Amino acid sequence: MTDNINTPTDEYHVASLVAYCMQDQIGEVTQAINAIEGAEIHATSVEGKIVLTLEGESHKTIGKKMDQLRIHQGLINLSPVYHQVLDEGQ
Amino acid sequence: MTINRREFIKANAVAAAAAVAGVSVPAMASNFITSSDLTKLKWDKAPCRFCGTGCSVNVGVMDGKVVATHGDIKSPVNKGLNCVKGYFLSKIMYGKDRLTTPLLRMTNGKYDKEGEFTPITWEQAFNVMAEKAKDALQKNGPEALGMFGSGQWTVQEGYAAVKLMKAGFRTNNIDPNARHCMASAVGGFMRTFGIDEPMGCYDDLEAADAFVLWGSNMAEMHPILWTRLTDRRLSAPHVKVAVLSTFEHRSFDLADNGMVFTPQTDLAILNYIANYIIETGRVNKDFVNKHTNFKLGETDIGYGLRPEHPLEQKAKNNGKTAGSSTSISFDEYAKFVSTYTAEYTAKLSGVPEHKLKALAELYADPKIKVTSFWTMGFNQHTRGVWANNLVYNIHLLTGKISTPGNSPFSLTGQPSACGTAREVGTFSHRLPADMVVANPKHRATAEKIWNLPEGTVPAKPGYHAALQNRMLKDGKLNFYWVQCNNNMQAAANINEEGYPGYRNPKNFIVVSDPYPTVTAQAADLILPAAMWVEKEGVYGNAERRTQSWYQMVEAPEGAKSDLWQLVEFSKRFNIEEVWSEELIAKKPEVRGKTLFDVLYKESSVGKFSLDEIPEDRLNHESREFGFYIQKGLFEEYASFGRGHAHDLAPYDRYHQERGLRWPVVDGKETQWRFKEGTDPYAKAGSGWDFYGHKDGRAVIFALPYEPPAESPDEEYDLWLSTGRVLEHWHSGSMTQRVPELYKAMPDALVYMHPDDAKARNMRRGDLVKLISRRGEVQTRVETRGRNKPPKGLVYMPWFDASRLVNKVTLDATDPLSKQTDFKKCAIKIVKV
Repeated sequence: MTDNINTPTDEYHVASLVAYCMQDQIGEVTQAINAIEGAEIHATSVEGKIVLTLEGESHKTIGKKMDQLRIHQGLINLSPVYHQVLDEGQ
Repeated sequence: MTINRREFIKANAVAAAAAVAGVSVPAMASNFITSSDLTKLKWDKAPCRFCGTGCSVNVGVMDGKVVATHGDIKSPVNKGLNCVKGYFLSKIMYGKDRLTTPLLRMTNGKYDKEGEFTPITWEQAFNVMAEKAKDALQKNGPEALGMFGSGQWTVQEGYAAVKLMKAGFRTNNIDPNARHCMASAVGGFMRTFGIDEPMGCYDDLEAADAFVLWGSNMAEMHPILWTRLTDRRLSAPHVKVAVLSTFEHRSFDLADNGMVFTPQTDLAILNYIANYIIETGRVNKDFVNKHTNFKLGETDIGYGLRPEHPLEQKAKNNGKTAGSSTSISFDEYAKFVSTYTAEYTAKLSGVPEHKLKALAELYADPKIKVTSFWTMGFNQHTRGVWANNLVYNIHLLTGKISTPGNSPFSLTGQPSACGTAREVGTFSHRLPADMVVANPKHRATAEKIWNLPEGTVPAKPGYHAALQNRMLKDGKLNFYWVQCNNNMQAAANINEEGYPGYRNPKNFIVVSDPYPTVTAQAADLILPAAMWVEKEGVYGNAERRTQSWYQMVEAPEGAKSDLWQLVEFSKRFNIEEVWSEELIAKKPEVRGKTLFDVLYKESSVGKFSLDEIPEDRLNHESREFGFYIQKGLFEEYASFGRGHAHDLAPYDRYHQERGLRWPVVDGKETQWRFKEGTDPYAKAGSGWDFYGHKDGRAVIFALPYEPPAESPDEEYDLWLSTGRVLEHWHSGSMTQRVPELYKAMPDALVYMHPDDAKARNMRRGDLVKLISRRGEVQTRVETRGRNKPPKGLVYMPWFDASRLVNKVTLDATDPLSKQTDFKKCAIKIVKV
């Protein structure tokens, strides 16, 4: 597993998450997600649940993106669901 | 090919999240790969090893290493979700500084208390341990031996430890770190209901109309339960959330009624609510008449400090009668709480009257189903048992208990604080299934199940957590083994008690841990431990759910599970070395045998053969000892509770289920206890049956507000509260090994109100010293961020090993539960 963000790796990491936001904040939170590199929204429900993925080359890059999102005021909760590493060097 | 592989796992990830959120996504190309190496991934379930929520996680192993995790969609607890800690779960095992060899303090090749840590073999480690233990035993008797365990031990590890200490070494000096966490909750349950653990379950989250958080920051400490609560609040607009704390935190974001109160005045607020219910005529008289008794509790009970402390000299009832009470009538109780008017309570607590009234109305209105949640705010309290009793009062006065959504719910901090610490009874006064060592019948039951002679288990309760540190310092506890916790960082007042105790030349301290924690570094011998899915085990969560997992990966070469360590160590003792001749004479066939033979191999623990373990499963301990030890320990332990309202299912069933909530009767779990129809133990025709007490009634206690042990004064002019942050779990000994988590919250800052900072000529980021009467600690000021203390109070998390806030805290404890109050002491802050 890679710890140093600057070390190029052969790893590909993908995580999926569910974000919960107040209904009147869906637009703003969507914007915040779209502003993050490697983030992609796959679905949004009317109650304010957003299904997204984060991709990166280490645990760390994904963790950082999660932190970036989590401090957003309109976001009540951010729950990771799935995470997998692919070692593409093999 | 690369694209296909990426697409494949991304599609899996999206499908998992969409299923969890209950939303549909456009079909993705997920069938590119049919026979790829990706299908080699072996998936298995395990409960998360962090907080007490008990989420189930699916763990994906390839080539002996964990490479994927996801929230278990089949789990009724987390329904596929994870939190940030759970998301990084697999990485806790792969920190760079994992310990892989025993380390002994040595000089010139020999043990030396002042020596340097030197690698030795397991054989050498057990040799020196056994020598020190036998020496202590010979010189000062069984009371010179002690153990400090954990609510993170597996059920089997806790049970093996209890048996080794209480029956093998014949000392009750074993306590878990859950003493710091759950002891007041246990005291509250036993006193009000006569039986431990919550009556409700997490299903209350989807059934309640209102939630009240008392001293619990669920948003950060129990994120998955918070997600369920958030989901309920967002999808049902009538639902209300009230949050009480001594400072504003992340859970206030969702609060309809957020209240910051002066420390300790929660006692007054609870009595005010009872008074409000009575004065507005909303007592559920039928329920109260049939199912409750009223009692007046003893007061002025001291603060659990050393007896020579001035506060203890002053206290009138801090002796054995501190927990006593006398029967009173409803009218007498009503009169008792009548002094807690809105006006008086608002003045004392600092919470405006209209907010108090809105809070009380949630409980009083018979149409509102209300769930109360609490954790350390109530439990780490010098009147923690009282606080627990008082919240039950308001649920009992209104009959809002044991039905879906009506639930006074004590949350836990550790994955098996309920399972291992409470149910197994790893406390200094307890035995499995709520039994206690002081009761001769309970001891007899244990001796019968263990097939040991009468009189094996000592009657006198042993040293509890805070007392262990004091007895180490006083040189009365000489051989001390710490497993699976970081108490040198976690316990209060380490400057005056903990550290001098560990370093006392009369004592030999052993610490088992996967990592070189502060506690390990204060020890004389460090043993490298295996963790989580490197071993098989069982955890019990906050809603009585028992969950098991298989070993999935090998531990790093040299690291061994706590279970292996305990049981292997027992081979070093012949029964003649630990038992008196008088006791051996009652059962002569044990002569010449080891503790390993008597306690494990030749007891019912040893009766399940290795054939019962699936061949493709790892199981280091069983294969080494020659029998299925995890099953044997579990089944023997379960026999304590079966038929006594603590029934557990057969061990094998837990491998098939995502946990079951006890009591499990006729194969069925129990969601709401004490209610006829949902609890098989509630008698027919009773409606509700609080069978923990012989008369089937719960107790409503008249208990007053009493001031804390220490409050700010002219010199020490600020309150200090300590606690956790989301990214780090407890002392951070695991989570700080995960760079992402460490980076998100690298140092423990002191959070203070901007006006308090300004008045002291301090700015955000300034280096400051927190000074109390006991010690000092340096850190930096934070005036922004998610923790917003009111004026007069500062907050500092305790996860940071380089900034030990517990050098400053006071070791005042609840005299009833012996749990330390980490939430309030007086300090001053000066610029460095």
